[in-house]
Amino acid sequence: MKADIVVDAKGLSCPMPIVRAKKAMDGLQRGQIMELETTDKGALNDFQAWARQNHHELLKAEEDNGVIRFLVKKG
Amino acid sequence: MAATAINAKELHQKMEQGVVILDVRNPDDYQEWKIEGEHLTSLNIPYFTFLDDNEAVFDPLPQSEEIVVICAKGRSAQMVANILDEKGYNVSYLEKGMREWSQFYHPVTVVSEEQFTIIQVNRLAKGCLSYLVISEGQALVVDPNRHVDEYLRLAEQENASIAHVIDTHLHADHISGGSELAEKTGATYYIASSEMQDSSLRYEPLEQHKNLQYGAVQLQVIAIPTPGHTPGSVSVLVNDKYLLSGDTVFVGGLGRPDLGGKAREWAQSLYDTVFKTIAPLSDEVLVLPAHYADIKEINEGGCVSARLGEIRKRNEIMRTENREQFTELVADTAGATPPNYEEIVQINRGIVHVSPDKATELEFGPNRCAIHHG
Repeated sequence: MKADIVVDAKGLSCPMPIVRAKKAMDGLQRGQIMELETTDKGALNDFQAWARQNHHELLKAEEDNGVIRFLVKKG
Repeated sequence: MAATAINAKELHQKMEQGVVILDVRNPDDYQEWKIEGEHLTSLNIPYFTFLDDNEAVFDPLPQSEEIVVICAKGRSAQMVANILDEKGYNVSYLEKGMREWSQFYHPVTVVSEEQFTIIQVNRLAKGCLSYLVISEGQALVVDPNRHVDEYLRLAEQENASIAHVIDTHLHADHISGGSELAEKTGATYYIASSEMQDSSLRYEPLEQHKNLQYGAVQLQVIAIPTPGHTPGSVSVLVNDKYLLSGDTVFVGGLGRPDLGGKAREWAQSLYDTVFKTIAPLSDEVLVLPAHYADIKEINEGGCVSARLGEIRKRNEIMRTENREQFTELVADTAGATPPNYEEIVQINRGIVHVSPDKATELEFGPNRCAIHHG
C-alpha cells in the first residue's frame, strides 16, 4: 500500500504530530492515504480518537523500535 | 498575550473555590483517569477538535467562569489555552499536565491531641493517603509515597525528626518511599517480612515489633496483622483510638484480595481480619485508610476518615458473616488491576530499580486498590 503523502513527525511531542497530520490531510482527496511516523508514545490513543472524530480510517498502526507508523485513509 | 501556566498547587486552590476544568486529552484517556473534585465542572474536548475552524467547539465553554486546561504533559493544553485566551476567555493551563498532577500531595491535619498530631497526606490523583504521626518532636511516617521530599518538608514544618517509617503492606499501585525516606533520615523502616521475599532492602520485620513507643508520651502504636489485601498486611492502631488501616479497611469498602493471584484464599484471610481481628475494636475508633476510591469519601474538612461504627453500618460486606458469601462478594468484585502492578511490586521489594522518569510513567493512571462495596 503506497501512501500519497508521508509525514515525518519523529521527535515532535504532542500536540505537533496531530497538528502535522491535520495539515497533511487537508491537502488530500477522500480515499487518499497519509503515512505518518512519530516517536510520541501518547500518539496512539490520540490518533485513534482523532481519526474516529474526523471519519478517517486508521488502516494501520505499528510500532517498531520506538517509532509508531500510522497509515490513515482520508474519509 | 499568552495564557498563564499554573502549577498543581495553584490548581488545587482554584478547585477549592470552584473552577471549570477543560481536559483536552482523548476521550479514552479522560474516562480512564481524570481530575475530580467537589466544586469543579469537568469538560472533555480533545485538543485536535480546536484545530478545525468550527466555532461550535466553543459553545460548551462558559465565558464568565475561570477555565483551567489540562492534558497529559502540558503542551496541548498550552495550545488550547492560547486559543481560548485570544478569544477573551479567563483561562490558564496546568503547566505539566496530568504528569504533574499525579505527583501533587496535599497535607491535612486530621487529629490534633495534646500529646500528638496526625497529618493525612493526600495524593489526590492516585487516591493514595499517607500519614505523619508526630509526638514531642518525633515522627512516624506510614505508607509514604515516592516523593519523599514532601515528608521531609512536613516534618521540618512541624519541628519533628522522622524516627520511624512503616509500610502497612507491599504496595502494588504506587512506588513506596519507605525505604528511601528511612535512608535519608536515619529512621527505621518496618514492613512485614512475608511481604519482602528476595528483597535486598534494609528493613525491620514489622511482626517483631508489636509496639512502638516514641516521644515522651506513651504513644502506643500497635501493629495488628490484618491479612487479606496481602498476606503481610498490618494496620497500625494509635493510642487505641486511631486505626491506620492500610489497604485492609476503607471508608467505602475493603481492600482487594486478588493481586497475588489467590483471590479466594486471601479473601478468607480478609474475612478473619474483619470478623476476628477488627471485630473487638470499638465503633468509636477512627479509621484512616491508605486509599480512597471516590472523592465522595473526602469529608467536609478535606480528610478521608470514618468511625469504624459508620463503616460497619454502611457496608454490607462488613456484616456478611457467612464466610462463603463474603468470599464470593470480595473475590468477584475486584475489577481491573492497577496498571503495571507486577513491576511496581518488584520495585518496592528493591529487586528492580528505575529512573524517576520511568517511575512517573509507571504510576501514571488511576488507583485501583480500593473496591467499592455498596
